[in-house]
Formats: sequence, structure tokens, C-alpha cells
Amino acid sequence: MRFYLVDRILEIDPPRRIVAVKSLSLAEEYLADHFPAYPVLPGVMMLEALVQTAAWLVRVKTDFEKSLVLLREAQNVRYGNFVRPGGQLVMEVEAIEIGADSSRFKAVGQCDGQQAVQAKLTLEHLNIGDEDPLRANLDEGLRTFLREQFRLIRGPQALAARVQP
Amino acid sequence: MRWIWIDKIIAFEHGRRAVSIKNVSLAEEHVHDHFPGYPIHPPTLIIEGMAQTGGVLVGEAFDFREKVILAKVTRAKFYCHVVPGDQIRLEANVVGEIRLEGALIDGRITRNGDLVAEIQMMFAHLDQSRAPLELGEENFVFTEDFIRMLRMRQLNHLDPPPAEHGI
Amino acid sequence: MAFSRDEIMEKVREALVDALGVDEDEVIPAARIGPDLGAESIDYLDIVFRLEKAFNIKIPRGDLFPDNILTSEEFVQNKKLTEKGLAELKVRMPFADLSKFEQNPNVDDIADLFTVDMIVNYVEAKLSSAAA
Repeated sequence: MRFYLVDRILEIDPPRRIVAVKSLSLAEEYLADHFPAYPVLPGVMMLEALVQTAAWLVRVKTDFEKSLVLLREAQNVRYGNFVRPGGQLVMEVEAIEIGADSSRFKAVGQCDGQQAVQAKLTLEHLNIGDEDPLRANLDEGLRTFLREQFRLIRGPQALAARVQP
Repeated sequence: MRWIWIDKIIAFEHGRRAVSIKNVSLAEEHVHDHFPGYPIHPPTLIIEGMAQTGGVLVGEAFDFREKVILAKVTRAKFYCHVVPGDQIRLEANVVGEIRLEGALIDGRITRNGDLVAEIQMMFAHLDQSRAPLELGEENFVFTEDFIRMLRMRQLNHLDPPPAEHGI
Repeated sequence: MAFSRDEIMEKVREALVDALGVDEDEVIPAARIGPDLGAESIDYLDIVFRLEKAFNIKIPRGDLFPDNILTSEEFVQNKKLTEKGLAELKVRMPFADLSKFEQNPNVDDIADLFTVDMIVNYVEAKLSSAAA
């Protein structure tokens, strides 16, 4: 299983808003444990999907300046309907504020038009070099990797499709 | 990747408190995506570790008959990064009492005595809260497999936990 | 413990801000927990736990937020509360202001009765009966 919770970016309007999707497949092995005979996307994976969606908005807005974007704080995370294999979680994230080192968001995940998860998020942004100067050389490579991944999940197309005012 | 985010329960007080530990290892797949070349154990999986620790505490109160699920994370705040080679300690305390309708848990995660995270969460019982769903009799949340792996039938006979230490 | 009504309001406000993630200034006496402050079903239990801790009181199930008045035919017909239903509601929720609701007792509007003020009334009564 790979720890990528965003499969495609559907819409992006930096710095305000991003919409992305996570498709759930029975092929994801951890589902065998969650739960046996009743596979559903774990709540924290829904939360991670929201976090990763917000992280993409940060990266685009800051032009991938910091290579690490991580959850620092989550508030009022509430769960509703389950997401089952064959289903999709549509993540809609609105930025409250995106600074250089941190950012805050309101995020909602829906499946089949029903609310599956909602949360308030605070993310932190930093370079590896900020935390571990001996490994600062990794930042450039990670940035390149993430720019490529942005292309993989159709970020550029979403940017191009923005409705111009 | 198994969906088990704690390794061992080291202390347990029925209806009150449970403490678990988790080793973070380079052998785990997920850290290599988060992030490539610079693995950090994801904060959301730390939340899941606390959910599993709290889930055992709330589940045991009903003899593992109820399907206990995470209903809400009121707050999860992270203070430092957990990396391969670390061992974290997850402590769950019941706020007030465990009720049939659900429970509120205060969670504290440390590494070598350093504060890693503070998490507050709520659990509910699946049958009670999601009536429209068709659920079988079988408890798929606490399966025999899971119970055996974490030795949940011996919780009340645990030796006192070792003093906090890292590796 | 003796708290003034203002002190009770302050602690209730804190509990609601923590449980619901709303801003302090949204928590006014007339604010309805569900429609105005966004509480969902799990949040009601969260609020109960926090109030129990803040005031060192016990709130039995259904005491503060009655959850099963709506199930009996005796009490509800055609989605409206009957005379008996209204009487039962008054007994179960002595701290709520039923004047407006009585005029058109739709079952779906019961959530309007759960206001911040109602919670403060409940806590006040609970604390004074404990002190008595």
C-alpha cells in the first residue's frame, strides 16, 4: 500500500480553494483489517486525504518552496458516512490563511453527495535542511519529485481549467 | 501494510486507562512515501494509534461485544516529528465514564518522555449510531485475530509497565 | 461549588467552543446548539462529558438532550407533537422555552429548543439542587 491519498486534482484556485478526489479500491490491502468482511476507508485516511489535498494548495501557492508539508493540528474532525471500495471521496478544501511556515484550512470530504468527513486543519511547512542541516541536500530532489507528482495527479490541467474572472 | 498502528499494550485499567507502544521502523512501507528519502511517521497514523488504544479501552468495557468506532477527533496537536528508530508511548485516559452511547478519551503521546502529541477523541458504537446500515451480528471491529494479536484477553493481568525509555 | 449565572455561562461557552469549534462570540444565550452552532449527533455527547467535568455534576442519558420523545405514537402524530406529547416534553425539558414551539409543535423543530440558555438553566438548577 502506498501512502498517497490524492488520486487526482479536479479543481484548483490558488490560494483559495482546491478540490481533489481519492478513489478507494478493494486492492488496497489494509482494508482487509478495516474491517474484515466490511471494508471501509478508515477515518484517519479520510483525514490524511484532506491534509494531502490542502498540502497541494500550499505547494502551488508557495511554488513548492518548502519540501515538507505536514499536519500540525486538526480540530473538530467529525465523521459521517463511510466510503466503500468502488466509491470516491471528494475532498474540498478552502484556505483560511497560507503563510510561509504554516497554513490553516476548512476541509470537507463527501462521498455520493453525503458528508463523510469535515475538519479544520493547520499545516506546517519546512525544508529538511531546517530540521537536519546534514541532509539539506535532499530538499531539491524532493521538490522535483513533488512537482512531478503534481503533474501525475493532473494539477496543471486543473490550473488551466480555472474559470477566469 | 496491516491496519495496526500499535504494537503492544503495556498498561491497562478497566474503564479508565490504557497505555500502548509503537515502534517505528524503516521496514514499514508507508514512511517511504512520507517522505521519499526523509521518512516521518505520519501524524494521522499517530491519531490512529491513539484510536486503537482508546478503542481497546472502550471496547473492553463492553467485553468486545460492541462495534466501537472513532466518531470524532476534537483536537489533535503535534509537537515533534517521529522517525524510524523511535518508539512512541500512547496513553489513553477516559474523561468521566464510558457510557453505552460512547466515550470521550484524552490521549497523550510521548517519545522518551518528550511530548509528541495531545489528542482528544470520541468513540461511539456502530449499531447505536448508524441504524440504517445493514450490519451483521459478527463483531468485525474486534475480531478474534485482532484480540489475539494484541493479547486483549489478558489485559487485566498485565505486569506493571517498564519505566519510560527509548531505544 | 457556587457559581454565579455569569460564571456558569462562561464555562458553558468554553465547553461549546471546545466541542463545536465555534468562535466565542457565536455562543450567545439564544444560539441553538444544532441549527446555529452546527452540532451533530456525536457532539451532544461531547458537550455532556465536558459539562460534567466542568461543573462536577452527573448528567444522566437523555436528561439534558432528551432523545426518545419522538418514538411513541402517543406523543407524535403526522410529524407534530400531540397534547400528551407536549405535556411530556414540558416534563422532560423544564429548562427550555416552549412558548414559540407550542404554537406549531413540529417534531423536526425540536432541535430549536436546545439553546445555550437552556443549558445554562439546566446547569444552574443542577448546581442549586446539589447544594441544597
